[in-house]
Amino acid sequence: MKHLQKKIWLLAIVVLIIMVIIWISLTYYNQKMQDQYNQILERYLVMNELNMISQETVTSLNAYLLDPSDANYRTIERRKNRMRQLYEEVTAFRNTDNESELTNYTNLTVSLVEMTERSVNFQISGEIETAKSALNEAIHIADYVSEMRLSVIDKELRTYDIFYREMIDRSEKLTELGVWLLITIILMLLFFTYWFSLRITKPLEKLTESAKRLSKGQFDREIEADSKDETAILAGTFEQMRININNLFIETKQKARLEAELQKSKYLLKESQLLSLQSQINPHFLFNTLNTLSKKAYIEGSEETSDLLVSIADLMRYNLRHMDKPTALHEELHVLKQYIQIQKARYTDRLTFITEIDETCLDIQIPGMTLQPIVENAIIHAVEPSEDGGTILFRVRHALNHVVIEVEDDGPGMTEEKIEMLKDARAVTSEKGNGIGFKNVVQRLKLFNASDDVVDIVSQPGQGTKISLYILKERSGQTYDQSSHSG
Amino acid sequence: MRKLLILMVSAVGLFLFYFTFQAAAAVFYTDWDLPDAGEQDENVPRVVLITNETDHPFWRDVTAGAEKKAGELNVDLDVSGIYGSNTEDFLRKIEIAIYSKVDGIIVQGLDNEKFKELTKLKAASYGIPVLTVAHDVPKEESLRKTYIGSDQFEAGELLARELLKDMGTTGEVVLMMDSEPEYFQRKRFEGVEHVLAGYPDIEMIEAKIGDREQGLSTVNDLLNHFPQATSFLAVNASFTEELVKEIETRRKVEPYYIYTFDEERGAYALLESGKIDGVVQQSPEDMGQLSVELMSDWLQKDSQPLDIEGYFTEVSIIKDLSSQ
Repeated sequence: MKHLQKKIWLLAIVVLIIMVIIWISLTYYNQKMQDQYNQILERYLVMNELNMISQETVTSLNAYLLDPSDANYRTIERRKNRMRQLYEEVTAFRNTDNESELTNYTNLTVSLVEMTERSVNFQISGEIETAKSALNEAIHIADYVSEMRLSVIDKELRTYDIFYREMIDRSEKLTELGVWLLITIILMLLFFTYWFSLRITKPLEKLTESAKRLSKGQFDREIEADSKDETAILAGTFEQMRININNLFIETKQKARLEAELQKSKYLLKESQLLSLQSQINPHFLFNTLNTLSKKAYIEGSEETSDLLVSIADLMRYNLRHMDKPTALHEELHVLKQYIQIQKARYTDRLTFITEIDETCLDIQIPGMTLQPIVENAIIHAVEPSEDGGTILFRVRHALNHVVIEVEDDGPGMTEEKIEMLKDARAVTSEKGNGIGFKNVVQRLKLFNASDDVVDIVSQPGQGTKISLYILKERSGQTYDQSSHSG
Repeated sequence: MRKLLILMVSAVGLFLFYFTFQAAAAVFYTDWDLPDAGEQDENVPRVVLITNETDHPFWRDVTAGAEKKAGELNVDLDVSGIYGSNTEDFLRKIEIAIYSKVDGIIVQGLDNEKFKELTKLKAASYGIPVLTVAHDVPKEESLRKTYIGSDQFEAGELLARELLKDMGTTGEVVLMMDSEPEYFQRKRFEGVEHVLAGYPDIEMIEAKIGDREQGLSTVNDLLNHFPQATSFLAVNASFTEELVKEIETRRKVEPYYIYTFDEERGAYALLESGKIDGVVQQSPEDMGQLSVELMSDWLQKDSQPLDIEGYFTEVSIIKDLSSQ
């Protein structure tokens, strides 16, 4: 707050200086007057004292002539000395105006001293009569001293008359000056204080107004403060803030608009998808048709065809219904059997499907559409290429924490490298069948078990393949929300 | 609005500042001149002029002349006169001047023992030169350095001759003097006597006013004593007015030949109204000037001898103011 402080200091110092100047000059003036006055008064006092001592000298001379003792003599001497001192002092008071009076006055005292001395000398030398007449003269002179003192003082009074009048006049003028000064200073102070406070408060007021505008949400007007002190800094930062807020505000608005647009387009997209789905064939219609075909085939005596059709319809319904949810193993197994039945209709004797199922394992939950892709792989790799067909062994058994589902075939097997790739659920391109199906199953199982350890493949070229899937008996509270889909 | 306000405030401010500064200047400006602390030149001679009747036109002229000359010659002249003619006060002034150790005293001569003692003993013992002005005292009795003023003897002669011209060679002439006439009066008398002595038909009467023996306590008594008088000469001029008044109460003034000196205050007024026939006019201003000049010379050159007989200023007789 240096600037504001500086301003306050400045005001205080200016006021102080004015006060000090006034005080000093008044004191000086007063002192001068006092000095002058004292000086004049001192003149009077000294002049008067000279007269007094003169009278006393005569008195003491008289006393000495009556009783010429040492004590009296000393008194005379003392007074004479004092007179000489005063003579010097009074002589110093001479000026052009009182010169002749004062010289007369001082010379009279000198004459008095001389006469006194003469009288004393006559007394000492025994001429008492002469001493007496000298005393008489001294008395005369003392008289004249007294008289001359009056005219000296009279002259002084006349000389300083102007001064006294001036002094009286001066003191009146001083009062007048005091009144003027008071008024001037009061007005000046008021004015300066007003001006000064304006300089502080005006930028603040502007700032306050700006703040109010901001709080009302008007971010577009510039904040300004026409000062150079702290308020300017404040205003500057405030202005920066306003600009930032304004920018953010504009940005947010733009984003919101964009988002709204996006939302709208998404909605439109969904709508179009829905429309496209609607336009697709209703699967239920397909099942019903398949069922109708199955009944027709049954009525017409082709039981085998009828069964096949039912199997296809079941398979399709299951696929449509259960793809997203975990299902019980027995349901999965049921669908698998339907699938095998269909395949058997295709491969007839070439496909031998053997199951070894521990019935106690069938209540376990597994992701839907897990088994069919594995078995399909096995059929594609082991049964289809061979003229004599192949055997697929499907086994469900207990392990320690898991239920193990094994699919074993007697096909051509595969290399170590391929096994690793399959285990890692990496995409495997296969000339036959669908590698993605396997990968999809492995990934879903990994998510389902929350573990990477879900599949084991044992195979050697020419000696068949055995794929084991491990399903956790007790999953750790994780809900398996399958969002992926089979391939 | 704002501009107007600022203008008003500055106007008021200026106004206040002006008056404040004015007041401050009035307070702090010292314009009284107190006399300079005297660098007193010790060489400036201090001379005192002591006269009777300082308000008298005659003496005012003397003083004016003296002051004028003092200014020219750089002499510190102190005029110390008394009003009226109180001898005691007058002498006191002289004594003060002596005890004040002035460098020189110019004084109206007073034919008085005390005066002579003062000038002779006191002034001499203090080494103060004394000049007499206008009125002289006998030089051997006063030890004055010189006299500046009219030659009173000559003035008397002048007057007498004028009287002869007007009156002719017969008549009774009354000369009014103090009972103990001062030196200047005696001189005048002698002058008149010197001229009229040659005319046996003229009877000179020496009238000492206030002299019990003569029976002349006042001017009134003159007319009673000397009913035959044809002419009055006011040797002491101050009796003139009284005389004229007294004559007027009894008869006409015109037939009398009345002469006086310009020391009488009303001399010229009386002359103008034709009540008196002539005034001896002296030169008071010249006296003043000359006295200061001589004193200054004496003090500065010290050794230059002064004519002890005196330095005489012009004397003339005025008969008609219009002719002047």
